[in-house]
Amino acid sequence: MPRKPSLFSRPSRRFNPTRRRFLQGTAAAVAGGALSNCRGGISDVQSDDTAATTGGEGDAKTLHIYTWADYTNDELAAKFTDKTGIDVVVDIYDSNETMLAKMQAGGGDAYSLIYPSDYMVQQMIELGMLSELDPARLTGMENMLDKWQDPVYDPKNVHSVPFSWGTTGLLYNKDAVSGTPEDWDYLWDNQSDLARQMTLLEDVRETMGAVLKSLGYSYNSSDPDELKEAYERLVEIKPALAKFMSFGYEDALLGGDLSIVMAYSVDAISLTLEDDRMEYIVPASGSSVWTDTIVVPTSAPNVDAAYEWINFMLEPEVSTFAVESLSFATPNAKSFDMLSDELKNNEDLFPSEEVLAVCEGIAPLDKETSDLYDEYWTQITSA
Amino acid sequence: MAIASPSEDQDSHPPLGRLGRLRATWIGPLTLLAPSGLWLVLFLVLPTLLILNISLMPGLRPGESPIGYGLGNYSQVFNPWDAAFIPVYIQVIGRSLYYAVTTTVICLLVGFPVAYWLALMAPQRWRNLLVVAFVLPLWTSSLLRSYAWSSLLRPSGILNSFIEWISSIIGVPLPTQDWLYTSTAVLIGLTYNFLPYMVLILYASLEKIDRALLEASADLGARPSQTFLKVTVPQSLPGIAAGCLLVFITSMGDFVVPTLLGGASSMTISRLIYNQFLGITRNWGLGSALSMVLILAVSLAIALLLKYGDRDSIAEA
Repeated sequence: MPRKPSLFSRPSRRFNPTRRRFLQGTAAAVAGGALSNCRGGISDVQSDDTAATTGGEGDAKTLHIYTWADYTNDELAAKFTDKTGIDVVVDIYDSNETMLAKMQAGGGDAYSLIYPSDYMVQQMIELGMLSELDPARLTGMENMLDKWQDPVYDPKNVHSVPFSWGTTGLLYNKDAVSGTPEDWDYLWDNQSDLARQMTLLEDVRETMGAVLKSLGYSYNSSDPDELKEAYERLVEIKPALAKFMSFGYEDALLGGDLSIVMAYSVDAISLTLEDDRMEYIVPASGSSVWTDTIVVPTSAPNVDAAYEWINFMLEPEVSTFAVESLSFATPNAKSFDMLSDELKNNEDLFPSEEVLAVCEGIAPLDKETSDLYDEYWTQITSA
Repeated sequence: MAIASPSEDQDSHPPLGRLGRLRATWIGPLTLLAPSGLWLVLFLVLPTLLILNISLMPGLRPGESPIGYGLGNYSQVFNPWDAAFIPVYIQVIGRSLYYAVTTTVICLLVGFPVAYWLALMAPQRWRNLLVVAFVLPLWTSSLLRSYAWSSLLRPSGILNSFIEWISSIIGVPLPTQDWLYTSTAVLIGLTYNFLPYMVLILYASLEKIDRALLEASADLGARPSQTFLKVTVPQSLPGIAAGCLLVFITSMGDFVVPTLLGGASSMTISRLIYNQFLGITRNWGLGSALSMVLILAVSLAIALLLKYGDRDSIAEA
């Protein structure tokens, strides 16, 4: 669940801006108008306008992907086009929730592939938004590490293909902080020294989860008393926070305006590789470990091209190339073996089993608990 | 007017007959108005009705079917006796109003002298160039301009380098500022973004003042300050009203500046609405209710604008 390039700075990265693309955008905008008949159920609308956004015979040659920034690049797309003759158009989102909202509003019907994170996969399966994948059409699933052969969020990978994984932790500037941060508590212990030089993620589950973990509870706690305690702990540190931000802190951190930020490992690693002062840790009391996947939504057009892309990404060489150029951790054992020793031994990228043992995956919550999280989050961010 | 004028023509022409009259009074004007009317209905009236509709479904989330109609969303925001009531919503609305009002006041205080000088004192041949210079920043994206402010205002940014440079010259240490991600940064960003509108509207309004009145006032013995307060200001009041309301309306609903320059404690109603639709909380019912509150506040301001504002100045600006 990475990814910064904000919805402002780079709303989308397109390899093939064509007139068709523009027309599709217009069609999508008009389709939005179809919501006006939504009296019965907003969710029903989404499947109606597939034809409007994807009609036309040329489309088997174009694949629309909706993903996080930095999960593909021009080179990968060009390789794919060379191999299959299919053009790739990539649009980018910056949070699972944004993606879900867009898909549910019917704005995402042109996409054949999306890249939700684990808990979002589970949620989308429950909402009936994901197609079952045909194992016969996938090649290379046996290369997945054991952990990803039968993940809890999607048993047996029926709906999703694991693509990348990582942790959430603290990224800091060695020169700017005193001592060595080891745990979440560091933020509370040093809040007067580092006042307004720290940020937490603008992500309700990650930030609440981290505070819960620092109190010794589960990342996915559903106990109202524990949640209240976590909320109060957040209130305590809020005056010392510059901002809640999930992306865009890089310049401020490198420039010395921020000293320590909560970050997803994928984002952190590119900074630690770039600048020796930057250090990333997974806090000792534990954090979250997440998996981002590739799925085919039920509304997907051009399913054949989608399978082509998935199989392309499953090729160990391609996957290795992606890991090396985009620096994320791969669940693919074969491509892990092909990595350089330097990357293989990078503990930020591939933390040791001891570190992972205290980490948890984010699990979906029941509605009541989820409302409670939202309520506390609204209070903490709005007050 | 448009409908009345064809019927006036009837007197000077031969009688049109029933069908002809129908065509003159209805079909002609309707044909002319249809494109923009259709546009308004499709993209303004229908979406607003849709928002109103969803705002009446308590706690509606995408993918769920509504539980029924009611005022639950509004009561969650405004009714302290509601179990779901959280005071932060009112706090957020209050903060948005505070940003909008403060921005308006600063824009007026800064903008009026500038517009006054431009309209009445600047050399004639420079005037157009100066006005263009004021409009020029509006040609770049407000997003870029707001981003630029974040590098100006950050602790190690240009503002503080400048303060330190001044300190080193005068030999007195001046306090450096940590303004980025605070309400101060939001107010600076909003003022910067909307000041040109204020200046343009005031300029258009002040420029129309008849110089003869100012001369007459002076001839009759009024001091310059008296002339200003009793002749200039009253005549530019409609322009002042128009400028203030326009700045208020736009800054109330602005999303970019508070998002980029605001910090952990500068949530505004526009950001809150965003969170309900595309952010984490995803409560479309509540988001729609908050949107209706914003639409209502802005509509009220527009109604005031139409009643008291100088519409000509806005059109010229």
